Amino acid sequence: MGLLSIIRKVKRKEKEMRILMVGLDNSGKTTIVMRINGEDTSSISPTLGFNIKTIEYDRYVLNIWDVGGQKTIRSYWRNYFEQTDGLVWVVDSSDFRRLDDCRLELHNLLKEERLSGASLLILANKQDIHGALELKDIAKVLNLDAMDESRHWKIVGCSAYTGEGLLEGFDWLVQDIASRIYVLDC
Amino acid sequence: MEENKILNPSSNSDPTINRKHAAMLERLSNLHNQRIESSSSANPNSDPSFESVSSFVSHFSSTKQAIENQFQECPRNPYSSDQMLVKSKLNSISNAIEGLEKLLAESSYFLPAYEVRSAQKTISELKQQLNSINSEIVPKKKFSFKNKPTKKNQTSVLEESKVEGFESFPETPLETSSSSNVFDSPGFRNHEGGLLVKDLNDSINGDFTLSDLTNCKIFLKGRLRALFVHRLSGCHVSSGPITGSVLIEEVENCIFMLPSHQIRIHNAKVTDFYLRVKSRPIIEDSSGVRFAPYCKSYEGLDEELHECGLGEETGNWANVDDFKWLRAVQSPNWSIIPEEERVSTIGEVPVQSH
Repeated sequence: MGLLSIIRKVKRKEKEMRILMVGLDNSGKTTIVMRINGEDTSSISPTLGFNIKTIEYDRYVLNIWDVGGQKTIRSYWRNYFEQTDGLVWVVDSSDFRRLDDCRLELHNLLKEERLSGASLLILANKQDIHGALELKDIAKVLNLDAMDESRHWKIVGCSAYTGEGLLEGFDWLVQDIASRIYVLDC
Repeated sequence: MEENKILNPSSNSDPTINRKHAAMLERLSNLHNQRIESSSSANPNSDPSFESVSSFVSHFSSTKQAIENQFQECPRNPYSSDQMLVKSKLNSISNAIEGLEKLLAESSYFLPAYEVRSAQKTISELKQQLNSINSEIVPKKKFSFKNKPTKKNQTSVLEESKVEGFESFPETPLETSSSSNVFDSPGFRNHEGGLLVKDLNDSINGDFTLSDLTNCKIFLKGRLRALFVHRLSGCHVSSGPITGSVLIEEVENCIFMLPSHQIRIHNAKVTDFYLRVKSRPIIEDSSGVRFAPYCKSYEGLDEELHECGLGEETGNWANVDDFKWLRAVQSPNWSIIPEEERVSTIGEVPVQSH
């Protein structure tokens, strides 16, 4: 092993990633973060403001900013855009009526220049609910195929209730950010 | 790894010592020659892995120059005959920019902050240029002149301006409006007057929707994962335990009796809520809403409540957060129902539905 790779290894140990969780209210953002962190999810109140969680994940330290999604506070989302490495957009797969709102808010977000370099993970949450919209239908309604070619993105079905799909989504996100920002070698 | 190969190239060579030795000698002389060559030229090393700032800068700027040249070569004519060629050209530019980004990422740990910043700026400028050329050259739809009535033309103009607004995301209003019809979940919709009863125990883990109801009495029995309420007026709603969340929007002159884990209330006017809730209920854009503790409405509910973690009164029914009133003093938009005005129940569930 060369000196260079040792230096890189040491550098990498302290690598942090800043991840912004957004999406409409009632989509399950806070529940997802709590579930990943192994905390109790049975009495989570709608987020008035924001929560920050620091989680060690696969050699990296994730700083997760979970920002409330109520209409009144959506305009404050932009205060959290700076230096975001990864964007997590959470969708309530059972809320058909507001999918239009969901798409519009996502469009607005992706126009933001400060987020242009961020990897985008779309979590189609609440897949455990009987009758929830399937992944391909959500991708269609949100018109994800029309996404900018330069954007790194992925859509994953999940359930914060059962925990299914969450690790798959975050594994991709962390790997993608790592390969963009830090050299991925061992 | 690249560096390892440079440091240990002998691992590929012949096992016999003699040949190894010869190979090493050759390598050394090569290295020597290289050094002489490079010391005479202006940039000492073109390989970025040597951690030299100047080599990075020169490598970066030459790549940048190459990309800019490619931009120049790109035909600016949107009606150019060979769309495929233009597209592949733009793709290769996009790849080159990505390469630059990677180079910067690889080198960022030894570069001074200023160089990193200015390189990042250059990359984002290149990206912008690429985007603008992309939108110029590759039109969303092939433009052609057609003989159509003026009315049609107007709509097409409208569509175009919409596309501009969303750039990467052209709207698909038609698809979505049809989709919301296709994907309808179970629920009561568009009723006026009457009694609506549903036993949900046969559809465990499901959601339910109440929308566009006027002057109805609604009884939902059994467990639910989620409840959506939209546009109700003059209705009484009573439901079994909801293990997920309730979303209530645009209701007026209603009474709700709900046990749930989470409750969100938007655009409600003059409505009473009798709640048992695990977390703090919230209201937004609402006025004249009042709250009181939940009271049971049917046999066998106790057991269901317990199984759903809603067996005990948490007192959260009074911990209402008003997103339109973020101050310490009490919000004028909601109040607690005085005890003498509370109803004990909004009617037993009828044994038979009509």
